[in-house]
Amino acid sequence: MGTNKEMVEIWGDIVEIRHLLISMAISNISTIGGLLLAPSNNEGKQLFFGLMGSLIGFVISALFIKPKRIVISKEG
Amino acid sequence: MNIILFIQMVLAAIGAVFIYTLIGFIPGTDETSVLMPITLSVVLAGIPPIIVLTFFIAAIVTLNLTNAIPTALVGLPGGVMSSPMMEFSLFLKDKGLSPLVIKKMAAGSLIGVLVSLPTSLLLANFLSSYSERISTYAPLLFLIGSIFLALMGRNKILSLLSILPLSLLFMGLRYLYWGIGIVPEGTNVTVSFFLGITIGPLVLSLLSLLNKTKGQSMIRNEIKKIIIPKYIMVDTLNPFKIMTREEIKRACMAALIVNFLFVLSPVGLTILFGELAANRVQDPIDRANTAIATMASLTQSTYLSGIIIPLIAIGIPLSPIAIGPGAALFNAPPVFTINNNLHHILDKKELIIGIITGAVLAIGTTYFVASKFATNISTFVLKRIPHEAVLSLFISFILLLAYLDAGLINIFGVLLIGITSGTLNKMGVSYGVQFMTLYAAPWILEKFPY
Repeated sequence: MGTNKEMVEIWGDIVEIRHLLISMAISNISTIGGLLLAPSNNEGKQLFFGLMGSLIGFVISALFIKPKRIVISKEG
Repeated sequence: MNIILFIQMVLAAIGAVFIYTLIGFIPGTDETSVLMPITLSVVLAGIPPIIVLTFFIAAIVTLNLTNAIPTALVGLPGGVMSSPMMEFSLFLKDKGLSPLVIKKMAAGSLIGVLVSLPTSLLLANFLSSYSERISTYAPLLFLIGSIFLALMGRNKILSLLSILPLSLLFMGLRYLYWGIGIVPEGTNVTVSFFLGITIGPLVLSLLSLLNKTKGQSMIRNEIKKIIIPKYIMVDTLNPFKIMTREEIKRACMAALIVNFLFVLSPVGLTILFGELAANRVQDPIDRANTAIATMASLTQSTYLSGIIIPLIAIGIPLSPIAIGPGAALFNAPPVFTINNNLHHILDKKELIIGIITGAVLAIGTTYFVASKFATNISTFVLKRIPHEAVLSLFISFILLLAYLDAGLINIFGVLLIGITSGTLNKMGVSYGVQFMTLYAAPWILEKFPY
């Protein structure tokens, strides 16, 4: 395992630092994107667009980043 | 109340069940940090109050059950409230009894909801005759609350000591924002400060990565191997067949008692009464089963009484649940404020309808879904939802709310609060003390003899 793929335990589960940084970048960019699309004089809409942005970021991250867990299904 | 509003309430409840079933299966997610921000956005989005209430009640009932299941299925706690069950769940999992354990959790939860709904509604009704007198003392009560929670906590002296410095931090930032004119004078920035406290521990562990020695200790070389047993879960769904008579009796008793102790910590109560109920059972398997069933019932009743009683009787958040996960129902400016929130906007009948609709729909659906599909949902969540995306979602969310509350500078204000709160939290100052202090801060500094 190379050093740039270092994994750490945060908040009860394991993440790869590189992936965490990528995912944070995606989420923040999509949230800011949502915010910029919203009319600047309406705080309710800003919140809504921002939230949608962060949700989209979440979905994108979830699609491209593999969870750091080995899941094995076993006959019980 | 018309039919369209009721349909919307049903939809809100189903939405909450769906969202929190998935979240519940994510290991380690803290209840306050998953309940409060989402409820807050529902409130701020301008959704009608009764629908907000239905959503929140359905959310807590669902989350309490689905958080417990991963302990039995994959050996990870779904949240804080399920950590007391870990020991018993793991023991029964090793004996190959997980399918039965999951059903006992579901049945115990059902009992908890059925017992605590009427009890806490009655208790709230009784207490509400004192509400006017109680709410005039609100600021003082928050101070007493924070002192009380400090004395109940892990680190009593530090908790007491931190009340004043934390008040200075909150009020210091508020005065600064007024001074530079980013927030109109007199408007108390609350929501994002609250979230800052909530994510404190997360912020702190992220920042620890930047410290060489601290970061080293968090490095893991192996990823977790999680074995999900393939169980066939088809047989009975009748709770009276799933639980023994003795288990039902103890789960009911425990659920009943904690309603009267709604101002105490829900985790503490669950550990105390869960172990009390199980202690006298001789056979280790029976003991573990009794503990699980009772604790499942307790998580529901501590949460329900902790939100229902302050909401109906008083209108100010005077319990760990109301001031933590449920804070957005009491104070989410500009929609709700301490003097004008769900308690004031909805009449008693509406409050009761909202609560019952949310609780009944959530426990009905989750009971069925948990008993039948626990394995499938768990597999989906563990295989498809990366922890990185969950953490990033939280962070972008906090940044967004911090920005909307008081502009760019508040992102750093919230970071400051996160670092402070996270550090205090690590040293044993509970969320409850910090939340109560946030509410008490204006009054404390007004009365402080400079």
